[in-house]
Amino acid sequence: MRRWVFIVLLVLVMATPLHADFRDLFQRQFIDKPWGGAPIVREGVCVDCHTSKIMNPDYLKIPQEWKMSIHYKNKVSCHDCHGGDPNDAAVSCGTPHSGFIGTPKYREVPELCGRCHVGILKNYLTSGHGKALKTTGKGPNCVTCHGAHNTQKASIDIINDVRCTKCHSYERARIMKQALFSTEKKISELDSIMTSMRKSGALVEDLEKRLFRTTAEFRTIFHTVDVNLVKAKTDEYLNKLGLIEKDLLSLVNEYKFRRNFSAFLLVLFTALGIITYIRQKF
Amino acid sequence: MERRGFLKSLFSVLSLTALASFIYPLFKFLSPRAVSARLKKVTIARKDVPAGGAFKVNVNDTPVIVIHHPNKGYIALSRVCTHLGCLVDYDSATGRIICPCHGANFTVEGKVISGPAPRPLKKMPLLLKGDSILIG
Amino acid sequence: MFERIYNWIDCRIGLTELIRKEFKEYYVPRDVSLWSTLGFVTLVGFLIQAITGIFLLTYYVPHPDHAFASILKIMNRVPYGWLFRTMHIVGANLLMIVLFLHIIFVFYRAGYKKPRELNWLTGAVLFVVILLFCITGYLLPWSQLSYWSTTIMTAIPTIIPGVGDYISRFIKGGEYVTGITLTRFFAFHVAFLPFILIVIAALHVFFIWRTGFSSLYDDPEICKKVVIYTGRPQYKDGKPFYPDFFNKYMLMMFVYLIAMFFIITFNPDMFLSEYAYVQADPLSTPLMIRPPWYFLAPYAMIRVIPNKFLGISIQLILLVLFLVWPFLDTGDEKNIRKRPILLGLFSVAIITWVVLTFLGRF
Repeated sequence: MRRWVFIVLLVLVMATPLHADFRDLFQRQFIDKPWGGAPIVREGVCVDCHTSKIMNPDYLKIPQEWKMSIHYKNKVSCHDCHGGDPNDAAVSCGTPHSGFIGTPKYREVPELCGRCHVGILKNYLTSGHGKALKTTGKGPNCVTCHGAHNTQKASIDIINDVRCTKCHSYERARIMKQALFSTEKKISELDSIMTSMRKSGALVEDLEKRLFRTTAEFRTIFHTVDVNLVKAKTDEYLNKLGLIEKDLLSLVNEYKFRRNFSAFLLVLFTALGIITYIRQKF
Repeated sequence: MERRGFLKSLFSVLSLTALASFIYPLFKFLSPRAVSARLKKVTIARKDVPAGGAFKVNVNDTPVIVIHHPNKGYIALSRVCTHLGCLVDYDSATGRIICPCHGANFTVEGKVISGPAPRPLKKMPLLLKGDSILIG
Repeated sequence: MFERIYNWIDCRIGLTELIRKEFKEYYVPRDVSLWSTLGFVTLVGFLIQAITGIFLLTYYVPHPDHAFASILKIMNRVPYGWLFRTMHIVGANLLMIVLFLHIIFVFYRAGYKKPRELNWLTGAVLFVVILLFCITGYLLPWSQLSYWSTTIMTAIPTIIPGVGDYISRFIKGGEYVTGITLTRFFAFHVAFLPFILIVIAALHVFFIWRTGFSSLYDDPEICKKVVIYTGRPQYKDGKPFYPDFFNKYMLMMFVYLIAMFFIITFNPDMFLSEYAYVQADPLSTPLMIRPPWYFLAPYAMIRVIPNKFLGISIQLILLVLFLVWPFLDTGDEKNIRKRPILLGLFSVAIITWVVLTFLGRF
């Protein structure tokens, strides 16, 4: 009797992968519930309209593009740049009372981005690009290089012969890219080491902050588009990065020491194990 | 017999080494931390900080800004923005501290007004001594 | 000098006689192998957990605002803190492996048949206690991994109709996993469970001491017609416990330590995922939440069986079966190779467990 009970139970267990969608079901029943203390944050009325069928097709792609951007990852949404009230469509889109700015004029884009990116705006306005924009209304603004909604983390590859040949030859941009190259390379090296150290539990917050501010300062200077200035400052910044690298390496060495210490203990226990084995045998 | 004796003593030596390799770290683990190298105080002259203005100085590898606020007196704050680490600056026109990277705004006492900074700026200890200001 | 100290102790507690009777004159049966040392290895594993845990306790702060930071401090700022914490984590996982092997081997060798029913019973309770240790300890770092894993595990009782919601809230101390959950899990992990474990482990070791090692050559008539205690079975053709079997104990202990330090040297984050070093964020669910590997099989079972109540009932029934097995399988035959149906069920159970564990990974 008992045997049959066991057999039946085990058959039940074995015959269960009958539901192909068991993962989705579980996801819905257990994982997607609002486990946190607060309800899931609404994206705001902007996204509702901009993804609906009645919207002008040109504007339909915007929310999707934004969701792939670095702004979305850092919880910067529509009203942070365009103003307005994220909970009230009538107030936002109808009137300028809520501070709503729709699509900014081409000439005024830098000021829109510069509300947050203060330092960069300052340098941009002194640059050839900035002056061209303000005097002639033509020239690159922020969106030209960084995109409007699908803005990504800045990298040296933004400078390329497709983007930088709209008004002049690539020669100038190439020289600038070369000037930036070694510093940018060092920055990405240090960044990847820090990320992998952080994933193993190292306390790299201070180092990450130092790297970020050095990178930000260096890239802010770039926005003057002054090759001589960049070249002059490169040594200074490479030195700063060198100091950060020194501290990072001492952290890496500490982790190497840990590995060596554990290896030493491993060897010790292996030796003890072998001796015990020999003594047991003979 | 000889081999047995040798193995036995080798075993004892290795066991003691293994034990010591745990006792020593344990001892260090529980020991009180040595007070890190005496944090040096930095002295600046009062006249370096004009009324309504600010002065930047490095204190123990931390960039610090000393502000002379007309009502609140002298305040020393760490310039490291609590968002991602950029160095903040004092804008005497608006009386606010602003971070050039993502526009975080702080009051003159370091409290967050707007922007992505999660915490207020760190206050640095400040002592007025005659014509000088001691920070740190 | 050592001899003088030894003599002083010996005169007072009879140490020589104790060693002679319990270790030198106790012969273990000849069919006992290295596998039989696994119980001792589990004990060693647990002692390592206890000692490293106690030292971690001197720096850990059981409050949601400070727990994660205290763990990072232990790993980075406290000298050799990394050593004890890594030993504790790797030790917990290795302990589970050794525990599973121990249970499998005892079952295989029918070490639960009379007169050893109480050994199995206390052992099964110990197994449950150690699982509780794992569940409560997992939350303590307050990382994304801890928080979300615990959220899912404490949600599972909600399947039980009627009292399920209440049970879930009772465990969590509220509607969600919060600081209240953290402090009570901490209290369990550090005070309540160790106390229970010491008492039951002492009983377990006591029963094993009184009944002796199990062997296929044991007298099946024991406790049947004559119901008085006749002492531990004597195996004159076996080997003395000391030094022969004792050396096996030592060898397996070193194998355990070698395994532990091998993992610590070459892959210390083997049992952790990238979310183990990110502070818990109740508002952001990571992409792949999974319980630790030893819970993947029950987790997969609940996911796969469409009727969730059936899923959890089967597991509860299996647990009860596991606890009372000696009272269900009371036959005389100890050799599992002569019992093909049991051997078949046993193999199927293990294979099912392995398959479910793999299924649970995805």
